[in-house]
Amino acid sequence: MNPKIFMFLGLLGVSIALLIIALAVPLSILPSPIKILILALSLLFDILAFSSRHYSYIIMPALQQRSKRIVLSNEEPYWMSTSEDSIIKREKGYFIASVYISIPIYRSATEMTDLEKVDFSRQASKLIGVSRDPVRFTTEMYLMNKDAYLQILRDAISAAENDQARLMQQKSTDPEELDMVKGKLAMWKNIFDNVSKVQSLELTSYVTVSAEGLKEYEAVSLAQQKAREMMSGIASILGVTPSIITGKDILKFVEPEYLIPFSTITEQINKNIEEEVI
Amino acid sequence: MDEEEIMYLAFSLLVVLIVFAFLSSFGKGWSLLAAILAVITAVIIIMINWADFIIFPFFTKTFGITFQPARDYNIIKTQDAIVKNVNGLFYATGFLTANVFSYSFKEEQNDQDIESKLLAAPDNWEKAVMSTNFPFKFHVLSAGNDIQQVRDEFEGKRSYQEFQLSRMQQKEGAANESAITEIRRNISVIQAKIDRISRGEKPVSSIMYIETTAVGVSEKAAVDNLTAQIKQLQISMSSLDLQISRVVGRELYLLFKFNFSLPWSIKEVESQFSKEG
Repeated sequence: MNPKIFMFLGLLGVSIALLIIALAVPLSILPSPIKILILALSLLFDILAFSSRHYSYIIMPALQQRSKRIVLSNEEPYWMSTSEDSIIKREKGYFIASVYISIPIYRSATEMTDLEKVDFSRQASKLIGVSRDPVRFTTEMYLMNKDAYLQILRDAISAAENDQARLMQQKSTDPEELDMVKGKLAMWKNIFDNVSKVQSLELTSYVTVSAEGLKEYEAVSLAQQKAREMMSGIASILGVTPSIITGKDILKFVEPEYLIPFSTITEQINKNIEEEVI
Repeated sequence: MDEEEIMYLAFSLLVVLIVFAFLSSFGKGWSLLAAILAVITAVIIIMINWADFIIFPFFTKTFGITFQPARDYNIIKTQDAIVKNVNGLFYATGFLTANVFSYSFKEEQNDQDIESKLLAAPDNWEKAVMSTNFPFKFHVLSAGNDIQQVRDEFEGKRSYQEFQLSRMQQKEGAANESAITEIRRNISVIQAKIDRISRGEKPVSSIMYIETTAVGVSEKAAVDNLTAQIKQLQISMSSLDLQISRVVGRELYLLFKFNFSLPWSIKEVESQFSKEG
């Protein structure tokens, strides 16, 4: 039986049992105020039973934990498959593998004729009906990861600062050499300021397919098979070559800190605070 | 209302009916209190059935209840954002339902209308994207339907409308004229859908939603930024003729889970979204 129905019947059973006690036991044994209390409890379980239709995932943890912070799960929401081409999740005893397929579309409406625009819209309409199983098409705009580039600039600034400090400590420093180092330091700082201040965005399109299995490898292989079918559908409709996304590239579709890279955004927040203070 | 909803509602309200049937067993004076409790329960059940997306967040906000759907994630008490704390930086994620306006399915559309919408779609989409300067995801969760099954369904509906039409035509009166016009319009809308399937278009069940993430140095800052982003998305996506509303409550948890695995069938998701959308 569906666990949701099981929970509903369980809670409804408790409600009816309490109601029977409140109604059937004579007033000489159970005084009216106690009966009303039992009735209130019975009706509370009745409300809980009805709520279990949509909130079954909350009711049991809430009753068990009786806390303001209800932990529905303390586990990671997913893990990466060993082949690093899908993410896996365990739910209701099944393993569910999800594969992400990149759709390389580099066309803009500004360079299309009216006929091409209509064709493109028709292709997009056809694309969403390509699979009988649930498939998710996503267009994602995310912040370009400039963490590595910012680190190179930071290293260059540190090196220029060290050079400047070394030259200033020396008694017989060539003023021209010192000016050159100062100029280099100013240049790196300007580049760093410009690069970190501006928010650069990228746009990408991808498709997500999922498949479940009793074993992890079964779910992964079924998801990969679905992905291959999906890729041939995409290729025939759009005339592009889709590819399965692997490794860390998947993370920018599932993890917020990859959508907005940590170091890149920290620099920007710092700049905004500096500007507000000034 | 689907069968499951009717079953839940009927059994839950049965308990309330039993209370009313045996009010006398609570003793004189106390039966009124029992009746009041039963009425309150019935009202709560009906409200949960039709407006749980208002009641549930109100309840969690009043009592300050938060949820942890997975490690490092937190659904805040207003039930409209999921926050992740990464080394002291807070990432708040929120969702918007993006339903195509329902009138587009009800009105008679000729080929020229459809053509002009298809022509404008790429430009409108690019305008919407270009006016957005923060990360977001536009999701279309879809599944192709069985063509024959959908066709049979439409043909059944058309037959029923034709039967209604023949009944109306037998009656006389001015009121009938408007009813006949309405039925004829319904028949032509259904026929247009059948024609589209005959021309090779695939019937699709789909759910569209938008996800956006904002960052802040505190949870409040991140959630405030998220709210600002959501308002901006509502403006920039309005050119796409979408009905956009912020997702709160149980749908938020459901959409969060979709980031890691898709649902097994689209029907179960459609029933979850039927109220708020």
